[in-house]
Amino acid sequence: MTLLLPHILNGLTLGLLFAMIALGFTLIVGVMETINLAHGSLFALGAYAAATILSPAILGDTAFAAWWGTLPLGTRYALALVVGPAVAALAGIVLELCLRRTYGKAPLYGLLLTFGAALVIEEAIRIAWGSGEQFLQVPAVINGPMFMLGLIYAKYKLFAAGFAILAIFAVWLFLERTPYGAVIKAGAHDSEMVRALGYDIGRLRMLVFALGAGLAGLAGVVMAPIWGLRPHIGIDVVIPAFLIIVVGGVGSFWGAVVSAILVGLAVGISGAYAPAWSMMSMYILLVLVVGLRARGLFGRKSQLEL
Amino acid sequence: MISLSDVPARPGAVITPQIVLFAAVLLTAPFWLPMVGLYQYIGVEVAIWILYALGFNLLFGYAGLHSFGHGAYFGVGAYAFGLFQQEVAVSLWGGLLAAIAAACIAGMVVGAFLSHRRGIYYALMTIAFGQMFWFTAIKAHGVTGGEDGLLGIPRPPADFGIVSFDLSDNTSLFYFVVAVLLVVTIGLWRLVHSPFGRVLQALRQSETRAAFVGIHVWAVKWAVFALSAAIAGLAGGLFSMAQQSAYPDVMSLHQSGFIVMMTLIGGGLVSFWGPVLGVALYFVARDVLGSLTETWLLWYGLMFMIVVMLRPEGLAGAIHLLSERLRAPRARAAGQPAE
Repeated sequence: MTLLLPHILNGLTLGLLFAMIALGFTLIVGVMETINLAHGSLFALGAYAAATILSPAILGDTAFAAWWGTLPLGTRYALALVVGPAVAALAGIVLELCLRRTYGKAPLYGLLLTFGAALVIEEAIRIAWGSGEQFLQVPAVINGPMFMLGLIYAKYKLFAAGFAILAIFAVWLFLERTPYGAVIKAGAHDSEMVRALGYDIGRLRMLVFALGAGLAGLAGVVMAPIWGLRPHIGIDVVIPAFLIIVVGGVGSFWGAVVSAILVGLAVGISGAYAPAWSMMSMYILLVLVVGLRARGLFGRKSQLEL
Repeated sequence: MISLSDVPARPGAVITPQIVLFAAVLLTAPFWLPMVGLYQYIGVEVAIWILYALGFNLLFGYAGLHSFGHGAYFGVGAYAFGLFQQEVAVSLWGGLLAAIAAACIAGMVVGAFLSHRRGIYYALMTIAFGQMFWFTAIKAHGVTGGEDGLLGIPRPPADFGIVSFDLSDNTSLFYFVVAVLLVVTIGLWRLVHSPFGRVLQALRQSETRAAFVGIHVWAVKWAVFALSAAIAGLAGGLFSMAQQSAYPDVMSLHQSGFIVMMTLIGGGLVSFWGPVLGVALYFVARDVLGSLTETWLLWYGLMFMIVVMLRPEGLAGAIHLLSERLRAPRARAAGQPAE
């Protein structure tokens, strides 16, 4: 058990980070019944925007970049946490405008369109930032190792996990305790009725998509220092996200959180025995869960099954 | 929006004018390819991908089962062909049989998990299984050679007992691939116009209705998935022969997505020949756009998005509408109401 402890801790952290990635994904699936395969690319976009703010070298050899570099890293990091999600949300709004053509058609078209968008965003990132790997600097306060229960652990991982808990809680508060959240949930349940009550469903969808994309961007900013940044990171990110949604059950908020932690633990613990194969455990988990419960752990009947 | 069954087909005929045209274009390709500034090898690649896309469209366009992980079976076929050459014997027929069998078995196993799924869940599960195969191909160094893949796969001669053709040069390989492609094309053309083809289209329209008229939905979905996987495996086997190597990249989500994109842009949703147009367009785009700009995928992706938004029927659907529009004035002149 003591030997497994670091792996369990790793898995738990990973699960919380996965949950944060899946949050925006589940929001969009729940309200719009669209599987957003560009979710990972929006994640990457947010992270790249943050990388630009954190390493002025990307801006080139200008006076502005030199001045920018003199700002304290903490300030820049805080700024990145705002700008990254904003860039992703903006891209999300554009994507939502394109998606409007697919509403009312089979869900396949949304899937296809967002797949195309993922390819386009990935190539755009390659053009703008190059194909090489980027690294994000983080402020010294949350950088470096720390000692806890006789274990060495990266401070930043703990920070990211804490941040993920905060984000999950904030989204839950927004959905459950604000009138906006009530409208969004109603929209997911019966969009026809919400429209009849006088809400602008088009604006609601755009808001939800922007929010979901923003959450993807935020996850990107927080996670990029751990995972590094490559143009094709979008694929590596969107796969766990949809896997978690399918395991947790489409449209269930806590289902997504619980299954994210399950997936994280599965990957973390199997990493103790077969490090190279640890990512395989999440696919096995998916096949097991979906084999036993077609709608996932907490799933309800959904439009997507038609 | 038009759908597959609105496009008139002539059931019964084994050889239709389209098949003759298709064969003529393919068989003359080695003569006109250099004239339009292309090279022989692209013909091999296009023919292999047409084979792959036609088999894929059986699932995607006809049965309405959206697989986003089909690269897995293409890859399984490629590895099976390579492993057969390296471990068992250098034999063309053995290798191709191994490729078909391995991909078909993989398709049967995965199909058993998939076939009670519907709609988007089906698509998501195919992605998950596709990723499992891709991940295994990368990690199982001992069998697949990891990220580098299997190298130095030979191109065995096509031995027909009395005559034997050497396939080591690209033009002769092209003719071999085209021969295989034409046999499969005629087989598929017959299949989609057989009762089984009608059943597939019934599944696309409504699985519930299909079940009510007595169709064993699960079995049909499973069978068509395995068949489509087997054709992908055959294409994969030919591909590993063409490339003389087999590598995990063909199994990635990107590559699985490309086959979907090609099929859709070409008009696989509305026409048997849609995938052919789509594959040709993809390779022309890759070589022509690719020679102009390194970022051709960006433009291809944008084109795909526009097709999905405005004309999901793709090229074949556009051609169909155009011919309808050209025919309409004549119909009006004949005193029939135009639709």
